[in-house]
Amino acid sequence: MKRVILFLGGLTLTLVLLGVLVASSSPDGLEAVAESLGFSDRAVEGEPYSPFADYEFRLIDSSWPAQVTAGLLGVALMYGFGIVFGRLVRRGRGG
Amino acid sequence: MHIPDGFLSIPVWAALDLAAIPSVGYFVRRTQRSFEDSRIPLLGVLGSFVFAAQMINFPVVAGTSGHLIGGALLAFTLGPSAATVVMTAILLVQALVFQDGGLLALGANVINMAVVGVWVGYVPMKLLGGRGPNLRGFAAFLGGWLSLMAAALLAAVELSLSDMAPSGPLFASMLGIHAVTGVAEGLITAVTLTAIQRLNRSFVLPSEAA
Repeated sequence: MKRVILFLGGLTLTLVLLGVLVASSSPDGLEAVAESLGFSDRAVEGEPYSPFADYEFRLIDSSWPAQVTAGLLGVALMYGFGIVFGRLVRRGRGG
Repeated sequence: MHIPDGFLSIPVWAALDLAAIPSVGYFVRRTQRSFEDSRIPLLGVLGSFVFAAQMINFPVVAGTSGHLIGGALLAFTLGPSAATVVMTAILLVQALVFQDGGLLALGANVINMAVVGVWVGYVPMKLLGGRGPNLRGFAAFLGGWLSLMAAALLAAVELSLSDMAPSGPLFASMLGIHAVTGVAEGLITAVTLTAIQRLNRSFVLPSEAA
């Protein structure tokens, strides 16, 4: 189990640190369909209220550190969720 | 595949928000009943991994991109009930913190990717997983492909019910693009699963002995 956790942890950090450098910014499948069928302008995006909108930390100008900061925040939030949910699962069976 | 706000009509997003809440609640309770204690550390590890993988878009065809959704991957490693809960948490964080996917459309995205995508993706491994290593690799690939197609099909149904575009072209283009992206989803799912199985044979669910 430890080896799997180390492998997945390493892969996660590699994705965040290096993946953002090579990520494509082309529209995704749904965006492309919306554009070709003429309903992409129906998306209500509004003002970015989050400092991390679109996976970039708005207070950092340069793009790699801004994306890596946002990515690490998301990874930390999901890890935190896993800990909280894990406790809930244990408690749920009275253990 | 994350539907933004504005693409769905009020009855469609409202009905799916209402459907998503008890569905996810049901899978939380199912996870509490049946999740193996030894896998608890994986909840955070796999949630983080799939979140990171979803950030990285790769080019698909003709100027479009896609990224791993990871429904089948989570289902094979956490079991489908916990996978639904973890995927819901990913979608919630993406909508609230990163403004990816609509807040009103969150129920639709949860039903498409966290509920239907996860459970459809689990079916091939459930049926073929006990029949030897080659079929397990194929089941992982097929699970990834099917989970993406199921989510794309549902998204097309929801967009069609919302009168965003004529049904014919909508279904054809949503399923067409995602049939291609699904090949990448299937390959990434199969390669990751094969690597994990090399490290720990009993890791991928349902385990080979079962």
